[in-house]
Amino acid sequence: FQAPLYHYIVEGLLVVWIIRLLFFKSYKIHDKVPLTTKEKDELIEDWEPEPLVPPLEETRAVSKPYRVVSGQPGKEIVVDGYKCKNFASLNFLGFVENERISKAATECVSKYGVGSCGPRGFYGSFDVHLELEKRIAKFTGTECAIIYSYGFATIASAIPSYSKRGDILYVDEACCFAIQKGVQASRSNVVYFKHNDMEDLESKLRHQEMLDKKDVKKSSVTRKFMVVEGIYMNTGEICDLPRLVDLKYKYKVRLFVEESLSFGVLGQHGRGVTEHYNIPVEKVDMMCGSMEYSLASTGGFCCGREYVIDHQRLTGLGYVFSASLPPLLACAAIEAIDIMEEE
Amino acid sequence: ARLNRIHSIFGTVDGLSGRFVSVFNYFKSLFYSKFMKPLRNGNVIHDEPPRKRFQEDFESTPLYIAVVTYINYGIMIVFGFLRDFLRRHGFEKTHASTEANDMKDFVPLYASFESFYTRNIYNRIQDVFNRPICSVPGPVIDIVERQFSKSGWMFKYTGKVLKNVVNLGSYNYLGFAENDGPCAEASIESIEKYGVGVCSSRKEMGNLDIHVKLEQKMAEYLDVEACLTFGMGFATNSMNIPCLVSKGCLIISDGLNHASLVLGCRLSGAQIRVFKHNDMKDLESKLRDAVVYGQPRTHRPWKKILIIVEGVYSMEGSIVNLPGILELKKKYKAYVFLDEAHSIGALGSRGRGVTEYFGIHPREVDIMMGTFTKSFGAAGGYIAGSRALVEHLRYHSHSACYATSMSPPVCEQIITSLHIISSTDEGKRRIKQLADNCRMFRQGLKKLGNIVYGNDDSPVVPAMIYAPTKLGAFSREMLKRGFGVVVVGFPATPIAESRVRFCISAALTEQQLQDALDAISDISDLLQMKYSKKK
Repeated sequence: FQAPLYHYIVEGLLVVWIIRLLFFKSYKIHDKVPLTTKEKDELIEDWEPEPLVPPLEETRAVSKPYRVVSGQPGKEIVVDGYKCKNFASLNFLGFVENERISKAATECVSKYGVGSCGPRGFYGSFDVHLELEKRIAKFTGTECAIIYSYGFATIASAIPSYSKRGDILYVDEACCFAIQKGVQASRSNVVYFKHNDMEDLESKLRHQEMLDKKDVKKSSVTRKFMVVEGIYMNTGEICDLPRLVDLKYKYKVRLFVEESLSFGVLGQHGRGVTEHYNIPVEKVDMMCGSMEYSLASTGGFCCGREYVIDHQRLTGLGYVFSASLPPLLACAAIEAIDIMEEE
Repeated sequence: ARLNRIHSIFGTVDGLSGRFVSVFNYFKSLFYSKFMKPLRNGNVIHDEPPRKRFQEDFESTPLYIAVVTYINYGIMIVFGFLRDFLRRHGFEKTHASTEANDMKDFVPLYASFESFYTRNIYNRIQDVFNRPICSVPGPVIDIVERQFSKSGWMFKYTGKVLKNVVNLGSYNYLGFAENDGPCAEASIESIEKYGVGVCSSRKEMGNLDIHVKLEQKMAEYLDVEACLTFGMGFATNSMNIPCLVSKGCLIISDGLNHASLVLGCRLSGAQIRVFKHNDMKDLESKLRDAVVYGQPRTHRPWKKILIIVEGVYSMEGSIVNLPGILELKKKYKAYVFLDEAHSIGALGSRGRGVTEYFGIHPREVDIMMGTFTKSFGAAGGYIAGSRALVEHLRYHSHSACYATSMSPPVCEQIITSLHIISSTDEGKRRIKQLADNCRMFRQGLKKLGNIVYGNDDSPVVPAMIYAPTKLGAFSREMLKRGFGVVVVGFPATPIAESRVRFCISAALTEQQLQDALDAISDISDLLQMKYSKKK
């Protein structure tokens, strides 16, 4: 180890320099000189926001005014003064003009008034709500049902109460707007499959299965759901439920069926797409429907196993934070179900 | 007395032995003697008392109460873990519903910790929520009696009805929850004329003539250019905010905004920033930063900035500092969305809400939103404002395109109650009665020594309970004495700020309110709830 002295000195200095580099704060160029108050005020002065909404003329140019319906929107309808046959309402069972339903609703107003004046948690639960839930559960053959005060809010609240960030939703690409909003609110990973294309869905499920095998730990907590409609609002097609149920058990993916249009329409008793295909209703994890079409009332419902449905009573946003369904509309729905069973 | 206090606090936690009591006595006396300082400033006084003086009051939580509340939770959590352990190993029978047999190998639907709170804390006081009623939700209600098992997990209906319980919980501010009188009659007539269902959306075949009439009347009442109504209040918020702001826009939202507003903000895709509840300084700093620095990362200027506030906050009983908000709005060129769910009908000398309360013209607010559930005794919501705004929403609102329109009898109820409020002496009487009732009840409650939150004129009167176990006790004791009250705890409130919320109605008589105050005084002594140091 013979070396000249200057060598040790240079080496030593280098070591000291490295230590300095390591421990001293890095050199920073202050490219940001903080703005002065005056400059900020000028910026605020300069900023011009976009208008809140486009000007009135622009909106008017692209849209037509609503048609006005006078009188009852039944099978005969008066639109803008013209008397027409009604091919446009979703009044499938003709319950809009049903006398029995009107009578039940009238009696209900004389007992309960109109509004419910509270959410379900706080004195907004009426005995008729509980009865309606029981009736829907009995009619559909499920363990339990929950009602929402608006059809649109039903599936849109139900999806996010189960599917959270990190979970996977398999959704038909032609699904209705309410499902799309529910999916968006859940912030889960969404996989859209081709409309009613079970091969495409299966290939996507198989792909996920392969990914799952690589990361077992993650996949053991990732919930997966398929969301389909009984009858698609956008295309009028019926979903392929038997295949979906097969896929459910094969790939362990839960199945939610939105039956707003098919409830009261498909199946011998109008119990929806499960009855249409003769599939036991337990095979579907959750069935959501609207009371606004076949039942000609307002609101929506979800039904299924108590284990699944009861969860929404504390987590369904549209259930917990909204006023409950006006009792008269619950009475109307009960009467409508009665008529469906009897007639 | 000390022992009594402790018992009252922990009374409903079963299985608590005397041993703990001495420990807590020690803790409590320690904090009593040394640290009895307020946690935060007592009064929130708003910068500039506008045309109307603010009486907003948020008395701080006494420190020892905060500590005791956390200990209260601590004990419940410890016992929760213990019982979960027992349930898991089969020592305690579990009453929870289970997964279907053929689905046991699916990924569990719920993370087990998520439901810990429900299982071990909520279930203990389950009986004070969701009480079913079987009468009109007016000043007195009939409650269907339920009998709960000792664990609180299961209940059965006894078949009995608790008659004539005084209702301090419904949002029946102007007393329009009635089953007779002009409103009910008109609704029944409309059922005869239109039926109950509409089966179509506003854009298609669901735009009935009475919907058009309602919108005209509402716009006249609010003194704005136009109005659009929807079938559900919650959806009015959550489905319309996305039509107004989108990516590249900024929403500045009050920290205590309702879930529907929060959902609407999330669905819109805009950036969301939250300012401290009713704090104008915080709002100004957020606005300033937003305008000066623009969007994060790209530093492009924001397309538009929308401030979202509520008129009356339903859990705090506070009224928005609207003059302050509007001043900032002008200064920073933001837009204001005002949710009047609890204030329309209930505030202002003619019931026109928070704008009238402050003497501000409604046209100064860009978007006036409100619901018909509360003061009008119906259901649904509206958005009112300039014609350009309403026409835009009419053609782009998701609710108008995809959701069924409002049921005719509900619509008729609003038209009739609106007529009574806006142009009859009866309406004026109700509005005055509500204002008198609110003041009388709130002052009475303050005199008792309870900590009461919020504004003196607000129809929502929250009184603090703090400890979660007292929630159950308070509500049960009130029901025993014939009063139905609403108690709220976590997650609707901050974890240590459980409270009872009284909603005052014009239909309640002075005698009923006085009786309620007497009962509250009685129970507050029992539960040691007279925390206030102001008295």
